[in-house]
Amino acid sequence: MIETFKAAVDNFSSPVTIFTSAAALFGLVLAFPRQATNKWVAGTGLLLILGFFGIGLTDANFKKIVTAPDNVPIVAMIFIFGYFTWFALRKAVENDRRIERGEPTVEQTETNEKVLVFPYLIFIEFVVALFYAIGLVLWSLLLKAPLEEPANPTISPNPSKAPWYFLGLQEMLVYFDPWIAGVLLPTLIILGLCAIPYLDKDPKASGFYSFKGRRFAVTTFLFGFWILWILLIVVGTFLRGPNWNFFGPFETWDVHKVVPLLNVNLSEYFWIKGLGWGLPKFWLVRELPGFAVLAAYYTGVPWLLSKTVFKGLPTRMDAVRYSILMILFLTMLALPLKMYLRWAFNLKYLVAIPEFFFNI
Amino acid sequence: MAKPAPLLYSVAKTFVWFAVASLLLTVSLLWVVGQDYSREWKGWQRKFMRLKYESAQAEWKAARAKVDPKEFEALQGKLKQADQDFKAKKPESKRLEREIHQIEIHLTKARARYQDLKQYQDSYKYFLEESRAHHDPRAGEFEEKLRTLTPDFESAQREVDRLEGEKEKKETEADLLKAGEKRIQKELERITKEIDLSKRRMESVRPSLVKELLNLPMLDFLRPTLQIQQVVLEDLYDDYHFTKVQKVDRCTTCHLGIDQKGFEETPQPFRTHPQLDLFVGSDSKHPLEKFGCTICHGGNGHSVSFKDSAHTPQDSAQGAEWQKKHRWHPLEKWEAKMLPLNHVEASCAKCHKGVVEVPQAEKLNRGRRLVQTFGCFGCHKIEGFEDRWKVWPSFEHLKSKVDREWILRWLQDPKAFRPTTQMPRLFHLSNTNSPEDREKNNAAIQGIAAYLIQRSTPIDLKKPSLSGDAQAGEKLFKETGCLGCHSVGDYGVNNFGPNLYGIGSKTTDDWLFTWLKDPKHYHHETRMPNLRLTDDEASHLTAYLLTLRNETFEALPLPEARPEVRDEMILNFMRTQMRLEEAKSKLSRMNDEAKLLYLGEKMIANQGCFGCHSIPGFEESKPIGTELSNEGAKEIERLDFGFVPIERTRHAWFFQKLKQPRSFDEGRIRDYFEKLRMPDFGFTDEEAGALTTFLLSLVEEPIPLEMQRRLNLKEMEVESGRLLTTKLNCQGCHLLEGKGGKVKEILEDPGLAPPPLEGEGAKVQDTWLYHFLKSPAPIRPWLKFRMPTFGFHHEELIRLVRYFTLLSDAEEPYEEEKAAGEAGPSPEAIAAGKKLFEMFQCIKCHEPKTGAALGASFLAPDLTLARERLKPRWIADWMKDPQVLQPGTMMPTFFPDGQTPAQDVLGGDTAKQIKALRDYLLHYSAEAAPVAAPPGSETK
Repeated sequence: MIETFKAAVDNFSSPVTIFTSAAALFGLVLAFPRQATNKWVAGTGLLLILGFFGIGLTDANFKKIVTAPDNVPIVAMIFIFGYFTWFALRKAVENDRRIERGEPTVEQTETNEKVLVFPYLIFIEFVVALFYAIGLVLWSLLLKAPLEEPANPTISPNPSKAPWYFLGLQEMLVYFDPWIAGVLLPTLIILGLCAIPYLDKDPKASGFYSFKGRRFAVTTFLFGFWILWILLIVVGTFLRGPNWNFFGPFETWDVHKVVPLLNVNLSEYFWIKGLGWGLPKFWLVRELPGFAVLAAYYTGVPWLLSKTVFKGLPTRMDAVRYSILMILFLTMLALPLKMYLRWAFNLKYLVAIPEFFFNI
Repeated sequence: MAKPAPLLYSVAKTFVWFAVASLLLTVSLLWVVGQDYSREWKGWQRKFMRLKYESAQAEWKAARAKVDPKEFEALQGKLKQADQDFKAKKPESKRLEREIHQIEIHLTKARARYQDLKQYQDSYKYFLEESRAHHDPRAGEFEEKLRTLTPDFESAQREVDRLEGEKEKKETEADLLKAGEKRIQKELERITKEIDLSKRRMESVRPSLVKELLNLPMLDFLRPTLQIQQVVLEDLYDDYHFTKVQKVDRCTTCHLGIDQKGFEETPQPFRTHPQLDLFVGSDSKHPLEKFGCTICHGGNGHSVSFKDSAHTPQDSAQGAEWQKKHRWHPLEKWEAKMLPLNHVEASCAKCHKGVVEVPQAEKLNRGRRLVQTFGCFGCHKIEGFEDRWKVWPSFEHLKSKVDREWILRWLQDPKAFRPTTQMPRLFHLSNTNSPEDREKNNAAIQGIAAYLIQRSTPIDLKKPSLSGDAQAGEKLFKETGCLGCHSVGDYGVNNFGPNLYGIGSKTTDDWLFTWLKDPKHYHHETRMPNLRLTDDEASHLTAYLLTLRNETFEALPLPEARPEVRDEMILNFMRTQMRLEEAKSKLSRMNDEAKLLYLGEKMIANQGCFGCHSIPGFEESKPIGTELSNEGAKEIERLDFGFVPIERTRHAWFFQKLKQPRSFDEGRIRDYFEKLRMPDFGFTDEEAGALTTFLLSLVEEPIPLEMQRRLNLKEMEVESGRLLTTKLNCQGCHLLEGKGGKVKEILEDPGLAPPPLEGEGAKVQDTWLYHFLKSPAPIRPWLKFRMPTFGFHHEELIRLVRYFTLLSDAEEPYEEEKAAGEAGPSPEAIAAGKKLFEMFQCIKCHEPKTGAALGASFLAPDLTLARERLKPRWIADWMKDPQVLQPGTMMPTFFPDGQTPAQDVLGGDTAKQIKALRDYLLHYSAEAAPVAAPPGSETK
């Protein structure tokens, strides 16, 4: 019974199924926030996850990976972030309901009651700090820092993994060149987060939890955080094994696993498979289709959006802000898009210029 | 309006939580302390303390039991008596004590005065010197001061002397009063010394409350009795890739009895090292303080837990036991694990380099000998084995020796022809055993046979001079010396050369005859020596050998393969160099013979036959195997375990590889040419185990030169010669360095055995040995075993002579010899020698012509050779007591216990008699016996 379950999970698991089902679940939660934050639904979700871990821990491979001392924070992260998201969303739903009825929001009611910071807040914070310290002490007592071999410059460990909080970036390396996945995208993430208060000046639904009032902002942020960051870390930690090959949760990490690599560049699709002319010699000509796609993506899509979904937004927030927002938003979306292009068409690079070590 | 929101804070509740947090913090603090305090090794140390206390107690009891209680009581009674006596003299003793006390007061004062004056004197001296040197007018002043001080100083000195003398006198008086008592006390102490010592030892390990207190948590920083024990090794390092750190071994934290006698039977971890005189012991060659533990045993010396120190079990049973006892499991992230105990000798080779045999490392040496026998270095480069030879015959003239059919049958399964052969099986092994692969094997065998026959050149063969007599041949085989290297079936003691059973099915009479007459004619680098057979002897032997047929082998079917299979294989090889179409057209232009030749050449290259055999066309080919120089440290991840369910350890992999070389291919989908190629030698478990130890010894670990066993020039010369003796199997016939000489067992008359060579270097002269080895001439004519002619080069002869000489530590004492030569023995001495010679009837045994009358055991070498052959010093030593030099020799001892039986010769002086005999022998020759005019006396 359990074996069949495990086999089914392993068979189902692949980067594309996991990513797609996670995105679908994400969409479902945000489409029905009220139902999703219902205690019973959330409780059932929690039980399901716990059940999965419970069954999983009977498997030697799963247990070894999940209970490895360096991976414990990631397991904890799933639950902690899940809880906080649920908590925020629940409050947002509650506030949205109150606004609909014309009542003051939770935060507004609370604002009326005031106490002194000291001793009330400080005391509570102190006790919390104590529990935090206890937690750290117990953690260090129960999970010992593992003894590993002295670093050997001639042998790199396989798999070689970044610190757990960078595993999302490392997972991006599968789909992008190091300079994009390792330099450009992280920079844009930091700059983009910094830019949020300057881009979003709208005072509407500010100062309290709300979903309806800021549907786009909340959805974009949660998608970026949950799907493009947490999920990739989880995949990178639990499902990427030796040689960065993908393994199901219950699959043995075999160093010798061989999977076919069949990726093709866009230029080859266009010039060879499409036109049958063969690759042009000059790189600029050769990569024209890629550049065209990129140009269309970064100019056409914003224009199209301004005419449809974001009608009137460019004027509301002014053109510069709208352009910056679009660059950041589209770059964020480029990651899942590129992933799907890879899965669907084995697309290696849109623009591949090995002459300058420049690939997109 | 909604109901008011619940209060976000509650001071009372927070207090409760605060209390809970405080409690938990206290608990966690205790837990921290507890976890930090409870260590695996502390338990072991407590246990050992108990053990030590028990053994000390037992020792103390034993010591007490040894003392005779009556004697003890008597002494104690005497002591009491003496005490009483002393009491009578009490007043006197009291008076003396008082007087001494008084003197001591004076003495203290006098000493102080003397010290003060000395200070002044030194100071004045300094100022006087300084002022004089600088022409200071105050010089006179200081001179005056010094002058007036001197008498005082001297008188103070005298006073001290006087008082000291006085005090000594009084003390002697006082001692005299006590003398009787003291003597008895000393006596008593002598008897109880052992008891006291063992008691003190016992007390030092007796458990006590103080000790317990000192070991308590938080107090154990003061002076705990439970402590981590470690040795920091000055000259040995752990290589952590980016840095080297001094080795620190903490093994003795638990292995507490390792360097102490008396724990030989105690269970681990306290057991005494089994070879304390060689390892660990402070006066052994590898003391603990200098070598530590992990340099030999491996593992993580820093660690003090059973698991983290990387213990490695010898087998899975032991692993399971450890799992139960110590919660052991193999350390995942630590390559440098301990060597399992049965392979620990592998570490010897880290420091003992450049030697043929590592002393006392039997298993490792066995492995190295096997490597040499089976010629592993033919395919694998192994550091330290670069100067070895191709172990098996040259195929340059193969055509003249065997025919194609024999090769075809042989290659299918060499052991079918000769079960003891060292030729491994290459084909039809577990990974090439499917019907398709078998056919490919057959095609390959056909190709190789064709190539070897075709490309070898014939050589002139001589015909036997007469049709030999097989029975005479067999007798010759058993008597001439063949048994030194060969056996026939079960008959024989040596398996150095091939077992000759079945040789008649292999080759022809002409080849055998030619080979026996001169092996180097067929193969100039062969190790087979020339026994200087006459034509008739060779013919007889040839006839005998031809009778040794292996009929089962002859009846074996020849390998068969369809031409298509052969063509497919050829195409496969061609494809690596050209396109399929080109290859096909090239193939179609070849005839059958050419196809076979092509396939044969490629298969020989593929299988690496040239590693062991010289094959025409492959003179420059590189060996096909992996280099093994650092195999013992190869990362386990780089060993392909395939689907074989064995432990993931190096030793398990090596053992499996040696026992079933192709098993790692099992379950793999591989092309015929991609498959593993290591052939099957049919090693026994014991052989594979020894070879595993050898492989584990191949570690390129840089050990500082001063810690290595470096050979001096003489030792290097010995090693070089020793290598030659193992190459040529001198020990097949002779007893040498405690080994070999097994032919003696098989001979009916042990007197017919070749002589032992122990101490040969001390016995024979270097020049004689050189010439003898170059072209041997009989010394013991009754021996039928012949010393063969090996055809040594000058350089090899020098190596061998130096080897024998240095081995016996008998370099020619030039000075002495020269002096003796100048003076020359007096004719009287020689005459005396002759007299003794006749008296002892030396000639009775040392006379080759009367040989027939006596059993071979009583016969002795021809003494006319002594002059040229023997070292004078050896002759003397030999005569003194032959049994010392060669235990079991038939030579009688003429001078038992240094006493001569001939009291009338040279005044009965043994030394002189021996010298006279020696001198006589050194002038003894057949034609001029008894005394030719010795060269020394002519000049006189």
